[in-house]
Amino acid sequence: MEREVIQAELVLPNKLSFKRVQMNEKYPKGQPRGRWKHLKQIIQAENYHNYPPDEPNYVNIESPPSMHPCKRICDITGYEAPYYDPRTNLRYANAEIFKQIRSLPNEYVQRYLALRNAAVVLK
Amino acid sequence: MPFISKIQRQTDYRRFPSSTPIVIDNGASYFRIGWAGEPEPRVIFRNIVQRPRHKVTGETVTIVGDHDVALLRYFDCTRSGPRSAFDNNVVYQFEIMEYILDFAFDRLGADGSKIDHPILITECVCNPFQSRSKMAELLFDTYGVPSIAYGVDAAFSYKYNQHHGVCNKDGLAICPGFMTTHVIPFIDGEPEYKGCCRTNIGGYHITDYLKQLLSLKYPHHMARFTWEKVEDLKMEHCYIALDYMSEARLFQNGTKEAEDKTRSWQLPWVPPPTEEPPSEEEIARKAAIKEKQGQRLREMAEAKRSSRINELENESHGLEFLLKQLEQVEEHDIRSFLSATGYVSRKEVESALLKVTQSLQKAKGEQAEFEEKPDAERFHLLNKPDHECTPEELKMKKRQVFLKSTSEGRQRAKQKRHEEELERERRNQQDEQRRSKNPELYKEQLLAKYKDLSEKVEQRKRLKTNGGQTNGNNISGNVGRGERLNAAQRERMRLLTTAAFDRGKGEDTFGARDEDWQLYKLMSKDNDDDDEGPDADEAELARLTSRLREVDPTFVPRSENGNSQSLETPRTRPLTEEDFRIDLGVERFRCPEILFRPNWVGIDQAGLDEMAGVSLRRLPSKSIELEERLTSSIFLTGGSSLFPGMSERLEAGIRMITPCGSPIRVVKALNPTLDAWRGASAYAASPQFPAQTFSKQEYYEKGEDVVRRYQFRYHVL
Repeated sequence: MEREVIQAELVLPNKLSFKRVQMNEKYPKGQPRGRWKHLKQIIQAENYHNYPPDEPNYVNIESPPSMHPCKRICDITGYEAPYYDPRTNLRYANAEIFKQIRSLPNEYVQRYLALRNAAVVLK
Repeated sequence: MPFISKIQRQTDYRRFPSSTPIVIDNGASYFRIGWAGEPEPRVIFRNIVQRPRHKVTGETVTIVGDHDVALLRYFDCTRSGPRSAFDNNVVYQFEIMEYILDFAFDRLGADGSKIDHPILITECVCNPFQSRSKMAELLFDTYGVPSIAYGVDAAFSYKYNQHHGVCNKDGLAICPGFMTTHVIPFIDGEPEYKGCCRTNIGGYHITDYLKQLLSLKYPHHMARFTWEKVEDLKMEHCYIALDYMSEARLFQNGTKEAEDKTRSWQLPWVPPPTEEPPSEEEIARKAAIKEKQGQRLREMAEAKRSSRINELENESHGLEFLLKQLEQVEEHDIRSFLSATGYVSRKEVESALLKVTQSLQKAKGEQAEFEEKPDAERFHLLNKPDHECTPEELKMKKRQVFLKSTSEGRQRAKQKRHEEELERERRNQQDEQRRSKNPELYKEQLLAKYKDLSEKVEQRKRLKTNGGQTNGNNISGNVGRGERLNAAQRERMRLLTTAAFDRGKGEDTFGARDEDWQLYKLMSKDNDDDDEGPDADEAELARLTSRLREVDPTFVPRSENGNSQSLETPRTRPLTEEDFRIDLGVERFRCPEILFRPNWVGIDQAGLDEMAGVSLRRLPSKSIELEERLTSSIFLTGGSSLFPGMSERLEAGIRMITPCGSPIRVVKALNPTLDAWRGASAYAASPQFPAQTFSKQEYYEKGEDVVRRYQFRYHVL
């Protein structure tokens, strides 16, 4: 290992005195590790629907959908967007930007749509 | 820069007795650790782990937090990016969490056989039980921690600021963080989680949005927009507009104000070496060299010519001399006489002489008189009847017939060209006359004609390629059988299919009328292409274009397909400094705006201002008086509340959802990023703190109930 790397103590040492179980004992090399539950699975396992509804928990403190009317903005520029292109599904502010979106390759159109979670997802 | 890492190793770990708690603010973006009662955390670093491979030795190493990028060049980071222990705002990956805690305790200077200090660690509001117990197990079993307390970061921040008189004991804490945003009402100094709400949006989403927008806007510089760089850009330039739409309109209209608000980031750019036009001297020198070379070539050619002339002259003299000598030789001796020279007969010698003299004339530059014989002589055999000709003459005659017909054809074409020339001249003259009479009208007429014709030509072209269904987008147009055929071909296909399916239905009357047979003519392949019409039109169009160019220098002919050309032009344009400049205009306030409008990034939840209303509605005990108390102490904390304009915008937003005239006061935390740790540190130092912790023994004896029911009490301070 290079001297400057050692000097900066960049790399975490394998053995630390204050630990009762070292990392490589807990997760031995080459052995399959149990996958960590993602949040979705944690929530599922927690069975929140069995809990009293008036008690706050991780799921029921989520905000409800917005009740305000949603202002639509141009996907490219961020200006107010009165128009919508039925071919690409992009919103646009004026004719100039319309020209631009019609010349966009499909990949970019999809990336713009993905920004607001409206892209076509192939499964 | 609000976020600065602090990772120097501390040396005074042994100074603290084992009763002094260690305080950890385990935020999704930054990890802060320090001693209870101190005003500042000792160690701060980004809450990420990388496990790259060392390039030389090939071993996988663990690197926690962010480090000098220069040092990372020894590692191969391509296979593993930075990883976080968080999913949303909940810790789920405890292997990564362990690396992070290892690093944190190590940098705090821990060197005993265990971490013999109580620990206060922050968690999210209503942290799922599983995450909480896993964290407890990790701390108890791996590090030998005696006791643990959990608290909520936003609550600590609120209490710290309440202690410093920034906010009241009743109030609304609004905490836009890294992954999530919380609103927590405080009543009598205690958080009321029943009124709490969470929207899954935060600084992470803002940075990501900015990163995506920039890489879509500047696809050539995509590699420049690293997470760290974009995070810096966000913190330096983003702000929250008081009214998004009017701010955007400023930019749309291109006002001076908008120009002032646009920030640019100039990427390093080296101008390409420009080719200097050669100097006069250079040009002269080059011309001289060229001239010299030309001279030499000419001289060489001249020398060659003269030598050839010389040669030919010698030869002809020789031959003439030979002929003269031959005159004196007897007829029967000729053969033997000529045997030495290689010629066989006198005739041969004469023809050779003729050839030589001809080429001599040619070489001397005199036009070899190739007298055009009159037709009568050239084609003398044509009038001779076939039966009178010898076979040789017949052959000659055939040749002459062919020659005559071609020469006549050539003559006719010449005549036609000449006539056309005359016609064009005449038309041009007419045009000129008309123009001189009324230039304006003439130009208008010309333009109208041009427009008509060009439309016609274009229409025909469109019909030929596809049935006129294009609507401006030729590039990602649909392709299929229908698109590939031209109109005539498609009509033919239609006729064929109807013919195929029409038969055998009812009485067959086909052929009763004469028009029926027209069908076969239409079906036949030959009537597909009639190219002559468009050709003539195109020629006329070209004439008009050139004429218009003469008359009107500003005239620009309509491009055939402007779309592809406009795409083509920037590629050929040389790159300038401007191409390497990243402009941040609308993006500056568009990205943080998603805190107020999460559905712009596809998160269908209430935004910051609306959340305050949701929170007030969720409170179990509702009264106008309580609401007024809460709204008069709206407290902003968390990293994403650092955007300029945040308080003003929030105030305006909340004013819209509360009854008219209610008091609204928005205050910002003394330090939105550090106050959570400071508050926690103050709590951990209080004498009541040990009562709030639970020990390992309790955890394992009473089981999960302890963890599940555990609730930090904030009012004790």
